[in-house]
Amino acid sequence: MSEYADAAGLVERSAAALVHAIPDQPADDGFFGPASIAWRIGGDLSAPVAGLRALMIQALHPLAMAGVDQHSDWRADPVGRLAATSAYLANITYGERAVAQRAAARVRRIHERVTGVDPETGQPYAASDPALLLWVHAALVDSNIAAREKFGRPLSPGDADAYIEEMVVAAQLVGVPVELVPDSQAALSKYLTWVQPQLRCTPAARESMAYLLDPPGLDVEVAEIWQDIREATLISLPGWAREMYGYAVPELTAARREEIRQALGVLDAVFLGEPGVLEARQRITLRMRAAARA
Amino acid sequence: MKSRWSALIALTAGTAATAAGVALVRRRVGRLRFERGLAAAQLAVRGGLRYATSAPRLFIAAGENRERLRNDLAMQTADDVTATLGTMKGVMVKLGQMASYVDDGLAPSVRRTLSRLQDSVPPMSAELAAGVIEEELGKPPEELFARWDPEPIAAASIGQVHRAMTTDGRAVAVKVQYPRIAEMMAADLDNVSLLRRMLRVTAPSQDVDGLIAELRERVLEELDYRREAVNQQLLHRYYAGHPTISVPAIVSELSARRVVTSELATGARFAEVLSWPQEERDLAGETLYRFVFRSLYEVHAFNGDPHPGNYLFHGDGKVTFLDFGMVKHFTDADLMPLMQMARNLCVDGSPAEFRDSLEEAGFLVPGSPLSDDQVVDHLAVFYQLVRESKEITVTGEYASAVVRRFFDVRSPVAQYARIPRSYVVLQRINLGLFGLLGEMKATANWRAIAEEIWPFTQAPPSTPMGSAELPWLASRPAVADSLT
Repeated sequence: MSEYADAAGLVERSAAALVHAIPDQPADDGFFGPASIAWRIGGDLSAPVAGLRALMIQALHPLAMAGVDQHSDWRADPVGRLAATSAYLANITYGERAVAQRAAARVRRIHERVTGVDPETGQPYAASDPALLLWVHAALVDSNIAAREKFGRPLSPGDADAYIEEMVVAAQLVGVPVELVPDSQAALSKYLTWVQPQLRCTPAARESMAYLLDPPGLDVEVAEIWQDIREATLISLPGWAREMYGYAVPELTAARREEIRQALGVLDAVFLGEPGVLEARQRITLRMRAAARA
Repeated sequence: MKSRWSALIALTAGTAATAAGVALVRRRVGRLRFERGLAAAQLAVRGGLRYATSAPRLFIAAGENRERLRNDLAMQTADDVTATLGTMKGVMVKLGQMASYVDDGLAPSVRRTLSRLQDSVPPMSAELAAGVIEEELGKPPEELFARWDPEPIAAASIGQVHRAMTTDGRAVAVKVQYPRIAEMMAADLDNVSLLRRMLRVTAPSQDVDGLIAELRERVLEELDYRREAVNQQLLHRYYAGHPTISVPAIVSELSARRVVTSELATGARFAEVLSWPQEERDLAGETLYRFVFRSLYEVHAFNGDPHPGNYLFHGDGKVTFLDFGMVKHFTDADLMPLMQMARNLCVDGSPAEFRDSLEEAGFLVPGSPLSDDQVVDHLAVFYQLVRESKEITVTGEYASAVVRRFFDVRSPVAQYARIPRSYVVLQRINLGLFGLLGEMKATANWRAIAEEIWPFTQAPPSTPMGSAELPWLASRPAVADSLT
C-alpha cells in the first residue's frame, strides 16, 4: 500500500476551487439558480461536515471505493483530489449551464477509463456504471441534508424534498438516467435502505477514511480543531455506517453541539480569509437577493 | 494549511492574552514557541509599530467601498447578523480589533483573515438599524430626531454610527449595536472550550481560564453601551473647559443598552496628522500624553482602546477623544505601586527601592537571583521618556523597542517578570500611546510634563499648554472621589 501525501493546502485549494467557479457576469443562472435551495444552503458552516460525511458513506460501497483507490491519484495527492471534487461541485452548482455541462462531460470522460476488479469482492466495476454514480449522488445529497440537520441551519421537510428534487439534474449530468434518481426524502431513504446489503467497510475504505479523519501534516493546534470536525462527521453518520466502520461517538449534548459549531465557525473564518472567497460569496448573495426581489 | 492555522491560533491566543494584557507572542518558522513567565503568546514585531496609520474603521474610507456596502449586501434581518457574526466570528472580529495595535507583529495570513473577517461585516440596512433604535428608545429614529441620516457614516465596534440632529438642534453621532450580537457573543464567550483548548496547546503555562475571564469581562462590558456612556460622560465632565482636550457629551435621554448618542465631532484623522508640520504634531503628541496620564492619575481611569481611529485632531494641539467602550477604572491601591515605581526609578534614582516596589506590586517574583541593575536594565526602557528632564523625540524605533522589550523572553529577567491582572490593560499605554507618538515623531520634555501630572511632584506648568491648563485646573471638579 502506498503512503498518503500530507494534507497541506486543503483550505487554500478548496477556496480557490470555489472562487474560480463563481462567475462574475454569468450568461445564465446555470442548472440551479439564485432562487434554488442548493444555493441557499451552499454557504452553511456545516459544509465541511457534509463533505466528509458524504465521502465516508460513499467509501462504503466496495466498488466505488475500489475505483477511487485503484485509479485516481487519491493517495499521491489527496488534497488535489478533494479540491477537484470541490471544484466540480461548485461548477455544477453555480456555474453557467455550458460550464456545468463541460465539467460533467469531463468527469464522464475520465470515468470511461476507470474499470477494474474489486480485490475484496472479486466483482468487476466501471465508474460509468449508473448504479455507482447514483450511489455517490445519493450519499452526497443525504449528507448535505443530514449535516445541516445536526450542525447547521436545518432544512424544513418541504425544503428537503425540494432540494432532493432539485439535485436530480446533478445526477443526470454525470450520467444517471433520470428515472433512477430519488426525487423526495421518501424515495431517497428507500434507496439508501435498498442499497445497504451491498455495502461494507473494505480495508481501502478504512484506510482512506482514517486518513481523512486524522490527516497528517496538520499542526498540533489544527489537530485540536480537526478533532471537532472529526467528531461532528462521525456523529452525523447514520448508525449503520458508523457500525460498519466501528467508530463510537459520545452522545451529542447541546453544549457539545455549540462547541462544534464554534469550531466550524473558526474554520469558516479561515476559509473566508482566502483570496477571493469573500467576493465570491458576495456575488452569490447579491444574485440571491436580486432574485428574491424579482 | 499548517501556517494558516498556526497563525490563526497565534492570533486568538495572542489577542486573548493581550486583552488580558500578558501578551508575549513570537512566531518562529511557522510554529509558535511559548515561554513561561509573562507570556501567553509571542508576536514577532517586525520593523516597528505601524498600526497607528491603519485605516480608521470607516465605511466611508473609500467612496466606492461605501457604495458597494450600502447597496444590496446590507444585513437586513437579525438572522443575517447571526449568519455574519455568530459562531465565534463576532468574537474573532473583536479580538482582531483589540489586536490591531500589534498589527505589524501579525503574520500576513492572519492579518488577511482578520481584515477579511472585518470586511465581511456589511452595515445594517436602514430598517434594521431603525428597528434596534425603536426597541431601545421606544420610537423610530425619524420621530426621535429632528433629522436622521439612514446611511451609516462609520462602522463601530459591533455596530455602526449614524449622523442625526436632535430636536433641540444639536448635531449628534448615534452608535447603534447590531441586534442579537450581545447575546451571541456572550454565548460564544460562555462556551469557551474551543478557546481554552487552543490556548492550552499554545500557552500551556498560562492561567488560561484567567485570560479567558479577562477577555470575556472586557468584551461583555463593551457590549453594554450604557457603561460606555457613563465613562464618556465622566471624562467629558472632567475635561470640560480644558484648552486642548475634548470629549463629546453624551445625550443620555437618547442612549440605552444598544444605542449611544453623543455630540458629533469632526476633525482630521490620525493619518492626516502625519502630514502636518512637525510643530503641530508635537502639540498633538503633548495633548495625547497629557490626556493619558491625567486620566490615569487623576480620574483613575484609563481608556484601553488606543486605536488611532479614536482621535480627531483640530490643530493647535486640540484633540477630541472618542470611544470609551473599554475604560478600566483603578483604585488607589492599584495606582500606588505605579507611582512608587516611577518615583523610585525616575525621581529618587534608587534601583533597590524600584525593585522592592516591583515585587510588592507583583511585577517581579520576589527572591529572584537577579541583580538590581539587571532589573533596571530590563524595565528602564518603559521609563526612558521620563528618566531625565530633556527634550526627547519619540521615534518609531523607540516604540518598537518598547514593544520588543515587552515581548522579550530571552532576557534573564523575563522569566521572573509578571503582569498582575489588574494592570493588564495598562500595557496599552506602552503599546498604544508610544506607538502613536512614534508615528508622529513627537518631541517634548516628557519628564517635565510628567512632573506636572505625577501626584508626588505636582510641578508648575512646563509648557505653554501646561500654562493654558491652569484655569481649567483651578475650576475642574474635585477629582477621583466624585468620578470613580
